[in-house]
Amino acid sequence: MELTWGLMIVIYLFTAGLSAGAMITSNLAFLYGGREFELVSRWGAYLSPFPISLGLGVLVLDLGSPLNFYQLFLTLELSSPMSYGSWIILFFTMLSFVYLYFWLPETYQRIGQTQQLGLWKKRLAKLMPVLSIAVASYTGLLLNAAVRPIWNAPLLPILFLISALSTGVAAVIMISNLGPWKRARHKELHVLTKADAGLIILECLIILIMIVMGRLSSASETMAFSSLLFGNYAWVFWLLIVGLGLIIPLFLELMELKDKIPVKWVWPVTISSSFLVLFGGFFVRYVITYAGQTSSWF
Amino acid sequence: MSKVYTWDQLFSRRQFIKGSVATAALGSAAGIGLLTPEANLGQGNSDQASVKGKKFVTTICEQCVWRCGVIARVEDGVVKMLEGNPNHPNNLGKLCPRGNAGIETLYSPDRIKFPLIRAGARGSGLWRRATWDEALSYTADQMKKIKDKYSAKAMMFNSTDNLSQPFFEILLKAYGTPNYGTQRSLCFNSMTTGFLYTYGTPQPGTDFSKCKYIIFTGRNLAEGISNSETQEMIEMVARGVKVVVLDPRFSKTASKATEWLSVRPGTDSAFFLAMIHVIIKEKLYDESFVNQYTKGFDELVTEVIDYTPEWAEKKCEISATTIRRIALDFAAAAPAAIAHPNWRTSNFVNSFQTERAIAVLNALMGNWAQPGGLIPDQELSTVKLGVLSHPAFPPAQGIRLDGVPWQYPMVPLAYGVIQTMRDNILTGKPYEAKGWLISRQNPVLSIPERQKTINALMKLDFVAVIDIQASDTAYYADVILPESYYLERFDGLIPIKNKIFIRQPVVEPLYDTKSSLMIYKELADKLGLGEFLPFKNEKDLLAQQLKPFSVELEVLQRVGHYEVQDFKEDHSKDFEFQTSSGKIEISSGIMAQMGKKAVPTWNEPPRPEKDHYYLLTGKTAQHTQMFTQNNRWLLEVFPENRAWLHTSVAAKIGVKTNDDVVLESEVGKVSIKAFVTEGIRPDCIFMVGGFGHVSKGLKAAYGLGASDSALHKTVTDPISGGSALSETFVTVSKA
Amino acid sequence: MTIRMGFVIITSRCIDCDACMVACRSENDVPLGHTRNWVKTSGVQGQFPKVSEMFQPGNCMHCDNPPCVAVCPTGASQKRPDGIIIVEDKKCIGCKYCLTACPYDARFSNSETGKADKCTLCLHRLEQGLKPACVQTCLGKSRQAGDLNDPGSVVSKLIAHYPTRILLKDVGTGPNIYYIDEAVPDIPEGK
Repeated sequence: MELTWGLMIVIYLFTAGLSAGAMITSNLAFLYGGREFELVSRWGAYLSPFPISLGLGVLVLDLGSPLNFYQLFLTLELSSPMSYGSWIILFFTMLSFVYLYFWLPETYQRIGQTQQLGLWKKRLAKLMPVLSIAVASYTGLLLNAAVRPIWNAPLLPILFLISALSTGVAAVIMISNLGPWKRARHKELHVLTKADAGLIILECLIILIMIVMGRLSSASETMAFSSLLFGNYAWVFWLLIVGLGLIIPLFLELMELKDKIPVKWVWPVTISSSFLVLFGGFFVRYVITYAGQTSSWF
Repeated sequence: MSKVYTWDQLFSRRQFIKGSVATAALGSAAGIGLLTPEANLGQGNSDQASVKGKKFVTTICEQCVWRCGVIARVEDGVVKMLEGNPNHPNNLGKLCPRGNAGIETLYSPDRIKFPLIRAGARGSGLWRRATWDEALSYTADQMKKIKDKYSAKAMMFNSTDNLSQPFFEILLKAYGTPNYGTQRSLCFNSMTTGFLYTYGTPQPGTDFSKCKYIIFTGRNLAEGISNSETQEMIEMVARGVKVVVLDPRFSKTASKATEWLSVRPGTDSAFFLAMIHVIIKEKLYDESFVNQYTKGFDELVTEVIDYTPEWAEKKCEISATTIRRIALDFAAAAPAAIAHPNWRTSNFVNSFQTERAIAVLNALMGNWAQPGGLIPDQELSTVKLGVLSHPAFPPAQGIRLDGVPWQYPMVPLAYGVIQTMRDNILTGKPYEAKGWLISRQNPVLSIPERQKTINALMKLDFVAVIDIQASDTAYYADVILPESYYLERFDGLIPIKNKIFIRQPVVEPLYDTKSSLMIYKELADKLGLGEFLPFKNEKDLLAQQLKPFSVELEVLQRVGHYEVQDFKEDHSKDFEFQTSSGKIEISSGIMAQMGKKAVPTWNEPPRPEKDHYYLLTGKTAQHTQMFTQNNRWLLEVFPENRAWLHTSVAAKIGVKTNDDVVLESEVGKVSIKAFVTEGIRPDCIFMVGGFGHVSKGLKAAYGLGASDSALHKTVTDPISGGSALSETFVTVSKA
Repeated sequence: MTIRMGFVIITSRCIDCDACMVACRSENDVPLGHTRNWVKTSGVQGQFPKVSEMFQPGNCMHCDNPPCVAVCPTGASQKRPDGIIIVEDKKCIGCKYCLTACPYDARFSNSETGKADKCTLCLHRLEQGLKPACVQTCLGKSRQAGDLNDPGSVVSKLIAHYPTRILLKDVGTGPNIYYIDEAVPDIPEGK
């Protein structure tokens, strides 16, 4: 079939995952890291609402009848991941702005008392991981329900979740290292980098299992995965995703963790590896969205 | 009035009409709308009254020459849907893709909307709008000038088969010219003359419903759709009738057939002559029929002695075993065995002999007027319409420019040889042609060697074109008289057996156009020949045609057809053959008179030399000759023609499907996309005809695909006048 | 018995003329560049001169388990009690989820309305006692439509007499176009 869901949808899938990943990073850093991880937590909170807002904007524009989009919120169709997903995202996005507000310096907080806000901040930090996981993995369910080769891979929601976490962490690492403002401490970054490296390894594993499962499945599935491994999308898969998006950043991160990087290279390496993780995460969404549509059943 | 338009501006997208008509033209989809769950099917109580102004009008289609019955649904003045008329024998309630697409052309922005007179040099593409009075007066004046100065014969009158043709013929005869150009010689002259000189009937019918074994030679009913015949062919295949198709290409008919024989182009007569040989040798022919109704059998026996299946195998490349087997099975099915007369057959000079062999083969089976066999001419069984009374025609001044009968003694006058007419316009021999009136015809794209036709047009003093769209020929006209589209007009009534059918306007003309009936009438008036077409308007003419019958025109319009009561089919003359001997002429008296072989015989066809290929052309179900390529609905199902190349040929020149290739013949060169297939002989290249338009007024069709007429060289069979289109050989190379 | 509307398509009678495609476009005002139905070809199979070709018309299968209905987030895509699957324009937001979900590629995004669009089994014609436009015009009588649950219908009689196949059986959609490839000499009488 021709391409129905294109770049706009890929952007949405990527940014939703990114926001969810950044949010969880912030939540966990806040709940378990305490003071030492405050900066990371703050940056995560500041980042989270925006990618998904961009994604949603782009999504509404991609609709054939954008003015009709409110119809989504007049009903809940349980068989449709897009239906319950829209509700989940609605809550997530609204709450992510609230969460951001909680993290603003006190001088900017006009509404509410500091102590009250602190309490709600903690409560939200306990709720948001649930919503974040829902946001990150439902995108996989979205593709599952469309019954297409590759899209129907049962591990897709897990893959998207792991990828979301990975890109979220990487984004937080990148932002906390950039810019003239107060940079995160070495310990914070070290933990995050360790987490990200772990997530990348997990992601590689899941991709491997998905491919094996796909190739052992029906002929249509085998052919669809072939387009990824040897066919039209092979260069995206091997070069952009596996090479640039997984292996190289993993390598750089492992080097960093072993303190093998000379001091003056640490900063550019950190930025680069985080960027490459984001790059790879984008193309994972891209290749699955596109390859699933150019393949069909026979 | 003197604003000058270019061709481009006249057919600009911005010119289409606003309002509900345009909305319909753009095909706005309203979607399904909110449906209540209770809206179940088949309730039959749909709210018809709430639909404002819905009506049904019965008329006749004009998307090809088959003229199916159409029932048009009109809602609020807009034609919404065309469906087949179940009462019409030509289509029995079904419409082919072209019939369904008529609405698109009705509302096409590329219609000619008012009369045009050229405002620059001929072929410059500059036009000015004129009133009908001015345009017709101008036309009449020019025609009168030509008649006065050069005599009537200097004026050519061309029209392709259509419902108002009898009146066009009256006009040209009243004018006094002998020059009448139809498109027949580009189509099936070999078939019509072949059968005419055998049976005295140019085109007998075929009884598919009872037939048990049929052989088609190139006739491609699945793609050259003749609605009811195509339906019958599908039924035959479904019933398990043995269908054999001779075609160098695996056509869609071949895909449905029981057996496809990939005959070498131009050699079909070898196949049939060998069949006749076997049938005579094994005494499988209908001896009593042959003795009673035919003449020249003994001559045939002598002629076919050497036409053994082994001999034929070398010529047509169909195995001798196959030929023998088919001959035996075919004869076993007699008299319900038909060797179909076909249409263009194989388009070689020897196609006349192929048709003669086919005609004779049918005679040997004794299938004339038998169930499952050939059907004699139905003229006696068709009701006769009232005719116009008019003065006697003046004698035609001079001989015909197209060589009939002085160059082609055996070609019927009604068919002519259009390619020779065009050639002689160019050469100026035996006399100079000065004017050309072309109605519903596109010679620029239909006659081989397109450039020659354009040169011919450029040479003349005066060219007038009557057409509904800005055809390639209209581009070279001095005056364009726009005809109303078939959905907007009346035409002459059509009798079919005991029923009379009407073509009538489904909607009033959208633009400043007229029916050809009125164009001919008003032109005649201005030429001072009004008395030859004595009717005030279309309805008046139709009323005169209805005079012998007890039905009012209004009733006929309302019902769509009239069935004449107590009209008996007359088969009394079925076995009275209109030949010189009164019998079926296996040995043709006329051929003998002309000093030619009187029985069907083998004439060796030309072959392409090394690295050259036969160029085959043909039809596709979605288009009609060169008429429909601007229809956007039809372009959705068949967007452009491609050159069929056998896999080995494509591999040799390194192309795959949709790559551009160049086809080149002696006379021209075209660029076209390739279509690589196993379904064609490796020595053949095929392209659907009619594409490659050069008129910018056909916005969708302009430049689409390639034109076969740019490649075809003009080769004419001297006996039948048929244009041997397939005797053009081409080279192919990667673009 | 509930009504279950569907098609029987006899491929042996199809000559790939595409009249059904033009009739559908005309009847349903389908915009250029899209189509609600189609005729696919197997292409020329085999090696010259032993070749064959088969034609297969198709359109929305009005499935028993339609993925397009399951994924619709607003409930615009619905399966009616008579089995016909429709799109309620008012609710459709044009998200195109149903387009991706249909394994037969039967849907398209209507460029003029922005909504999901597809074969409606000419519901508006059925309500007037008329056949769908594609069935009405088919020269070879290849396309037949009707109530698959009514033993008196043409489609039921054909299915009872001839072996049939459905497309993508293993995907689990339960399509309601039944294909007959054998020659069918007579179309049975029926509703």
